[in-house]
Amino acid sequence: MQTKFLQVIVEKVKIETSSVKSFTLVPPRGERLPGFSAGSHVTTYIENNGKKLERHYSLASNPEIPNEYVIGIRKSESSRGGSEAWHECIKEGDRLFISNPKNHFPLSFRARKHVFFAAGIGITPFIAMMFDLKKRGIEFELHYAARSKELCPFFPLINEHFPEHSHFYFSELNNRMLPDLMKEQPIGTHVYFCGPELMVKQFSQRAHAYGYPKANVHFELFSPPDMGPKTPFHVKLSKSKKEFYVSETENLLDVLLDGGVDASYSCRVGGCGSCQLNVKEGVVDHRDQFLSDEEKKTLQVILPCVSRAKSKTLVLDI
Amino acid sequence: MSMLNEDVKKNYVQHLSTEPLVKRFPFPFHEDSYRYSNNSRQLESGLCLDITPEYKGEVEEKRALLEKFPMKCYQSFSHTIEAQWEVLDMLIHEMVEIYPDYFTLKKQGDVWIFTNYLLNEQDTFTFGQLNTLPCEPLDFIGRHMQEDLVIVSERDQDLYMDAGQLCFPANWSLVFDLGMTFTEWHSPVPVFSDKLAAKVRDFLMRMEAGKPWTRYNWTLTVEHILPTFAEDFDQWAPKKEKITKENIGDLVHLRVEDQRLFRLPKSNSILFSIHTHLINLNELSENREWLNRFSKIIDDLPEYIAEYKGFSEYKLLLSAWLKETLYVKKL
Repeated sequence: MQTKFLQVIVEKVKIETSSVKSFTLVPPRGERLPGFSAGSHVTTYIENNGKKLERHYSLASNPEIPNEYVIGIRKSESSRGGSEAWHECIKEGDRLFISNPKNHFPLSFRARKHVFFAAGIGITPFIAMMFDLKKRGIEFELHYAARSKELCPFFPLINEHFPEHSHFYFSELNNRMLPDLMKEQPIGTHVYFCGPELMVKQFSQRAHAYGYPKANVHFELFSPPDMGPKTPFHVKLSKSKKEFYVSETENLLDVLLDGGVDASYSCRVGGCGSCQLNVKEGVVDHRDQFLSDEEKKTLQVILPCVSRAKSKTLVLDI
Repeated sequence: MSMLNEDVKKNYVQHLSTEPLVKRFPFPFHEDSYRYSNNSRQLESGLCLDITPEYKGEVEEKRALLEKFPMKCYQSFSHTIEAQWEVLDMLIHEMVEIYPDYFTLKKQGDVWIFTNYLLNEQDTFTFGQLNTLPCEPLDFIGRHMQEDLVIVSERDQDLYMDAGQLCFPANWSLVFDLGMTFTEWHSPVPVFSDKLAAKVRDFLMRMEAGKPWTRYNWTLTVEHILPTFAEDFDQWAPKKEKITKENIGDLVHLRVEDQRLFRLPKSNSILFSIHTHLINLNELSENREWLNRFSKIIDDLPEYIAEYKGFSEYKLLLSAWLKETLYVKKL
């Protein structure tokens, strides 16, 4: 029997670096947590100053350990409140609700070898992946960039469990993690990137240039990529006859949800496709990574969590 | 497995509903017209099992088929073993939580003692250790339920049929479909296979744990036959040749599959369960609303659907019988 939300208790808060804390979440006494696959994340629901904060964090622990999730959170300077609230307000013993584990960043099944590239807090999904691959005896290597050893989240854990697989690049020591690490890899290698948008973009482009098939390149973004200036637009709903205005600072999904539309969604960064809606009229400004270029041209659909309108008005078939 | 002693048996059978089938049959239609579509709904209960008064007979029939035709009824790839344990874990806990009168589970560390009071059996095994079970975990748990079970793996952005225990198929073959992608195993379905199949696949790949889905599928079966394997087409399909105006109400059954879909968070695979229900037309027509709706659906149904579902030969006879029965009931 599956339940929609899971209640967890914060069992441990650990300072990983000066800007990163890890939180160990366990079930209430006598209950169990579902297992998770490597690359999974959970959505956490917390409140700060009366504001409901819904955030996604990768599960950064060994999937073989039952009834325990570990998330690593970096306090972000440009925080929209989520990481700050986690850092400032959440303490051991607190209870909160989270989603079931979801996986939008799974390991390839057919890969002969897995090569991971992480920058900073982007390391989190790779921790679970490495535990999984090590158990199954599948070849992998990690390349991990941070400012210094002290500012490298989960450095001791990685060093303890995966010393032979890991390569660190500390910019303070003028060590740079470069895309040409992908150049000399055996056929059947899959590459994975997790970090800031610029790094992911650079590595993706170079992987393509080195001849990696598209299906062998995997990445996860924490925030929607910057797709250029946003313009306001009107939206009309053909079935419910509702009308809304989306300003340049708002996104369509939030406007719909605030307007009482029962829209489904999940990742909120244009990666999973859960919020896809049919468009009846108007020109869509596609800003997601879910639809292929071909689909963006031929399908009359929109992912309202990130995509917008090029025309003044969009008519949605809801 | 051991049989329980008389003194530990529970009084269970009276808990099972004794209502007639027509009062509890899952009638699948909500409109007067039917076409292929993604007719999935959110499964509010979150449950996979549906134990009906037919439990004992159907589970016995399943087990007999599994013994006699193990290859036809059970197939799996070795990489699904972890997902199979996850399925066993999920279903065994559902059994003991929802039906504590029928099933109990005692745990001593990883040693699990599972008791099925409906069948008067007890099994002891070590969770996660294959050699402590008499068969694979999916096969084991499926032998305690009426539902057929299929594990669909998500691998490299596609869905594959990777394991299954299938005893009551509606004219398909597990051996044939094993290892196929979602669009491949749906390729025989007319119209659906063109574009809809890929859309439904994408929908399934977005399915999340904790938010299961359900849908009904239907067809017609001549005589009360649950195991209509594609492999045995020659045995059950010719039965439609003996349908007459006089015996159609007895012979022809509406076959409804209550299908449920769960994302398994540990393996990231999908569990697909099928509970098959059969009701003959005479009994179905005791509900006049259903009779009326079913009559309209048959009259509106495109030939390609009737052809695929295998009743185009007797569709006219069926349509006439439904209208006539409806007319008589109105009198």
